[in-house]
Amino acid sequence: MYVRLATIAFFLFATTNLLSAQSEQTDFLRQTGMIYVVVAVMAIVFLGITIYLFYIDRKLTKLENQISDHDQNG
Amino acid sequence: MKQWIQKKGWKLLGVVLVLYSILMGMMVPLHSGISARHPLSAQAGDTTVLEIEGYNTHFAQAQDHLRVWLMLGDQWTLSAEHVAVVDERHIKATFILPDLLPVDQQVGSFTLVVDNPIDGVTLLPEALFVRQTQIDTQTAIAHWPQTDPMIELHSGPALTFPFRNILRETIRNTYFHVPMWFAMIFIFIGSVIYSLRYLRHQRADDDRYAAALTTTGIVLGILGLFTGMVWANYTWGRPWSGDIKQNMTAIALLVYMAYFVLRFSLEDNEVRARVSAAYNIFAFAALIPLIFVIPRLTDSLHPGNGGNPALGSEDLDNTMRLVFYPAVIGWTLIGYWMSQLLWRTNKLKAYLEAYEDGPPQLK
Repeated sequence: MYVRLATIAFFLFATTNLLSAQSEQTDFLRQTGMIYVVVAVMAIVFLGITIYLFYIDRKLTKLENQISDHDQNG
Repeated sequence: MKQWIQKKGWKLLGVVLVLYSILMGMMVPLHSGISARHPLSAQAGDTTVLEIEGYNTHFAQAQDHLRVWLMLGDQWTLSAEHVAVVDERHIKATFILPDLLPVDQQVGSFTLVVDNPIDGVTLLPEALFVRQTQIDTQTAIAHWPQTDPMIELHSGPALTFPFRNILRETIRNTYFHVPMWFAMIFIFIGSVIYSLRYLRHQRADDDRYAAALTTTGIVLGILGLFTGMVWANYTWGRPWSGDIKQNMTAIALLVYMAYFVLRFSLEDNEVRARVSAAYNIFAFAALIPLIFVIPRLTDSLHPGNGGNPALGSEDLDNTMRLVFYPAVIGWTLIGYWMSQLLWRTNKLKAYLEAYEDGPPQLK
């Protein structure tokens, strides 16, 4: 879990650096008053919440397995 | 239904407030502004044609009512001799600059003022630097040209967000980046309250609640950091400028991450709960100076720092408050909801672990 989280964090970081390396003219995110920067920020928030949901989901799956294991054995 | 609203209403409220902040935050237009002008400087006595590029402007529609001024200080105004409209966003204003400026300096810094009934009035400070060869304030005041006075300015559309030349549309990030930090603070406050309650009553449930709230707080903090980095990349030029607030929040998050290292390293449930509760209180005590005190002592790129009070009317106008505060409340409620889900999961886990031989009847 933590390795995966760290990997995602690294890719997020790498993406921001990659985007910053482009020149100002060709930069997609700088068009139309930089509205796409807002879109990118909202996407990051959504992605973060989704990852958190997956984390809780995994915990619940473990508990479900624990219960079903017991039902099969007992 | 009534009971459901009473019990779950706060979750619905959180969703509605965040949805409202997204819709308002994305749909309310920016106020018109001046995004560029050319040339940047001129000589006193010259006739200069200033090419002006507007943002969210309707120059062609407002053609007959368009008024343009250059303003020196508060009282010396000079209206454009002629204004030619190119399209909705571009105009060319011709100014006849006087030979002498009423300032006792070589260079006078003029503010550009554009007004029309559709977009309202927009200002661009330091739009044109005018050089004068000799300084004679008395003569300049006596011979200042009598042009159209700068009166009856229009306010423009009622519901707009301010136009800032560096920020442009990214001013909307105020409703998506800043509430992350506000919600994080509120969630951490809740976490400290549960830690204090644990130390008082030694209930395992309080410890689990504190841990769940801290997890959510860190998630919100990381989101605040990443959204801030993307925003900074396009406004400050770099994702990480070593700004005092960036550095201090990163340290604060590391302090909080150590909370989980501590939890994982302690085996005994009761010891873990007690030590982590004490550490949580310490971490919160460290968070306050790191976020609220130190950034105000030095200069920061963030608004509201370097001695100024935060959230002044310069950074957050009344329309923005209308969206920003609901966003903060909404994200805090959603953060609390997410922590509750994690807490309930951990509670079930503890319940199952308490019966090693097999789970009891789950009702």
